[in-house]
Amino acid sequence: MSQSVLGRRAVLLTVALTAFVCGACETVQPWQRGRLADRCMIFDADASQVAYMTHWQEAREGAAGGYGVQSGGCGCK
Amino acid sequence: MTQWLIALALLASIAAPSRTAPDVTLRTAEGGTVRLTDYKGSVVIVDFWASWCVPCKTAFPALDALFREYHARGVEVLAVNVDERRRDADAFLAKLPHTMPVLFDPKGTSAEAFAVRGMPSSFIIDRNGVIRFTHIGYTSDVSSSYRREIAQLLSEEKQP
Repeated sequence: MSQSVLGRRAVLLTVALTAFVCGACETVQPWQRGRLADRCMIFDADASQVAYMTHWQEAREGAAGGYGVQSGGCGCK
Repeated sequence: MTQWLIALALLASIAAPSRTAPDVTLRTAEGGTVRLTDYKGSVVIVDFWASWCVPCKTAFPALDALFREYHARGVEVLAVNVDERRRDADAFLAKLPHTMPVLFDPKGTSAEAFAVRGMPSSFIIDRNGVIRFTHIGYTSDVSSSYRREIAQLLSEEKQP
């Protein structure tokens, strides 16, 4: 098998794999983030400590949300 | 450059078209259904909330207060819950006594129809069924905006 044919196959395989992987991407809509907002999804070793600090910050700032993965109060994604 | 950007932003805000509210069907706590078009002729606030959404805990009682204040003057508030599990919503509601109607959409069909971009999201709909104001998220100063916008929409007549 010539090298050009092998190269072409490699390119085709890469394109096919990329298309396959990208096809699995999906945006989680804001109303579907219930599970993501669960405390166990906090990306930290000590979720209780994070929850405590968040509560403390909310009290200090007079505003809630905007922390973690649940889209907060700002509506940002 | 800055002037251009400001001009562009102004143009975008003017050009942003008002759109007719989608005719969604929602489930009541008792298992019945409610259609949004049933409320045509009233000023309607549709609020999307969930038990896991932190700002919703502040927004929910504030909206209920608006409902109690304005309902007699022809304002309807529909609090649409989008929790997947009903028991999560029920636990939230048990902690926050309310008088406004709470409706359920566990699949989020209505949230999709309204193109909700954040939680909580509120849509203020005029007497003709057109979405006139949208709020994403909740801060304590939003309440005064609601009052101003409700007053404006109440002063407008329904088109024949």
